[in-house]
Amino acid sequence: MRSSIATVFRKELLEVARDRRTLFFMIAMPLLLIPLLIQITTDFMKEAEEEAASAMLDYAIFGDEHLPEVAHAFASTPKFASVPLADPSEIPAAIADGRLDLALVIVPVASSGDAVGGSVQYPVQYLVELHYNNAPLSSKVKPRTKKVLDALGAELRRDRLEKQGITEVAVQQAVIEPVVMVEKGTAPMREVLGERLGGMLPYMFIIFCFLGAMYPAIDLAAGEKERGTLETLLLVPIPRHHVVLGKFLVVFTAGVVAAVLTLVGLGGWLALQGSELGGDLGAVLSAIGLTDLVLIAAMLIPTAAIFASLLLGISIYAKSFKEAQSYIAPLNMLVILPAFLAMLPGVELDWKTASIPITNVSLAIKELIKGTMDYSMLVVILGSSAVLAGALLWASTWWFGREEVLFRQ
Amino acid sequence: MLEVVGLSKSFPLAKPRRRGPPPGPPDPREDGRLFHAIRDIEFTVPSGAIVGLLGPNGAGKTTLLRVLSTALRPSTGTASFDGIDIVRDPLAVRRTLGFLSGNTGLYGRLTPRELLAYFGGLHGLRGEALTRRIEELSGLMRMGDYLDRRNDTLSAGMKQKVSIARTLMHDPSIVVFDEPTTGLDVAAAETILRLVQRCRDQGKTVLLSTHHMHEVARVCDRVVVIHQGRMCFSGTVDQMREHGGDRALDRALLSIIGLDAEGEATRA
Repeated sequence: MRSSIATVFRKELLEVARDRRTLFFMIAMPLLLIPLLIQITTDFMKEAEEEAASAMLDYAIFGDEHLPEVAHAFASTPKFASVPLADPSEIPAAIADGRLDLALVIVPVASSGDAVGGSVQYPVQYLVELHYNNAPLSSKVKPRTKKVLDALGAELRRDRLEKQGITEVAVQQAVIEPVVMVEKGTAPMREVLGERLGGMLPYMFIIFCFLGAMYPAIDLAAGEKERGTLETLLLVPIPRHHVVLGKFLVVFTAGVVAAVLTLVGLGGWLALQGSELGGDLGAVLSAIGLTDLVLIAAMLIPTAAIFASLLLGISIYAKSFKEAQSYIAPLNMLVILPAFLAMLPGVELDWKTASIPITNVSLAIKELIKGTMDYSMLVVILGSSAVLAGALLWASTWWFGREEVLFRQ
Repeated sequence: MLEVVGLSKSFPLAKPRRRGPPPGPPDPREDGRLFHAIRDIEFTVPSGAIVGLLGPNGAGKTTLLRVLSTALRPSTGTASFDGIDIVRDPLAVRRTLGFLSGNTGLYGRLTPRELLAYFGGLHGLRGEALTRRIEELSGLMRMGDYLDRRNDTLSAGMKQKVSIARTLMHDPSIVVFDEPTTGLDVAAAETILRLVQRCRDQGKTVLLSTHHMHEVARVCDRVVVIHQGRMCFSGTVDQMREHGGDRALDRALLSIIGLDAEGEATRA
């Protein structure tokens, strides 16, 4: 029994290893594309941030007669350039066509003369409206403007307090903010960042695992029908489920290899470039150790088994390579959606989500990245995945025994 | 020896065809729910004989060969090869059977040597016996020059030789050829016919499905004619000529199945 399954396995593996398309999806894409994608993304983000932080910002100010210090503050700050604009009504158009990056409109709220009997000659508070394009996520207009205004506000505040006779800095602080909340989060930084970014990585591993298994699955069943080689295989003196098991093991191996190579690609990139990566993503990726990578790879094994049995079953049913592709294309959504669930805020690994295939693995990988994995959940995850993979494999074997499937017209 | 007893095979009709009558004249093989591809086929082939399986396209020849080769299970009836029943012990039948079809494909990314090793392995050949058998067939089919080239780089004739070698890898006692010369040039077709005769000379039972009457006249000892799923005739080639009332086998065949040269029915 074992020998016939092994014979089918060896032959199918040899054929798969000689198929350029399969090799691309199974080896080249995870091993090269993942590091390349991460490198391009991080470079792009870094460049965009640097560019946004150092770009010259063109601005216009209206109502500066109320508070001339604002105009002085921006004029003396590097990388800000004043642009003349006739009327505030032109602001939206000027921002839209790129003549302006921002516009400030200063509006006095109340007069100090009203408030303190005319003893002070300037208004108590001003509203400074910031007009800018707030759609780009990488925009640095708001923080850069706020920094200038905050500095100016601090200076004015200090002057006003000193005029009121409050000269000591500590007293000034106590008057301005009598109650101050200081945040002391108990979660380690890895958990915090893992929660925010940890859903992305399992999503990538799962998608590449699926893609790695897809072409061998189509080739090994629908492809055999199309090429006319299946009938000869049906006439060899071994039970048909041995043929299915041999083919399943190859598709499963392809899925595991693709997933592991995705990890290797990531690990390799981290080893070479991780230290240079800053920001939240860099902190999360640098925190992932070898043990975590091995555990993540182990979590992908049941996923690969589910994909292999599902894809093989569909491929066995299809009459041709093209028909199998048309069935599998919508199946992508079935894979993407459960994997995507793990990225949603509030979706956590518990006894309920641990029994949802793909989502459970995605959440478990996220927990491993965060460093908060509850290992007792592994039993449920592996158990539910194994049951599903077994049921799908049984269905594939059942398909393969049915004449109307094998000889569909 | 091959014995076929009351062999029938029916397929469920596709749902749209169940709902209403199909366009054109009704097919006598359809009964509303089922399509009876072959019905009550009975014949016997002694060992060391070549039996030609004749009939027009869609007569049921391929279905009959698929049932006999255990790719399909019969709906009723059975057949046996040297006493081994195709229903009760299909795996044992497959050990004694070789099947070659005109449209059989090869694994393009394997070499002939790898392909033969694969099928030999699935038939239980291992180690030295497997290597020896590959060398033997390579010599017999003169495949030495391309034994280690990938199949997808071979010509049609070379591929057909590889297919033949695959069919004979486990030295079967019964060999089934389903339109093996379709699409081949004269030289390649000649190779096949010589092989068919060689199989008989070795005492193998041979079933040959073909549309070429010159092949029947040249190699067949007996013929079985099938039309619309039913057996119309079984006997020697001379008996077929006599039964059809014509020395020319193609005209005798048309007469037996009740068609004229234009394919029109000559009798109700």
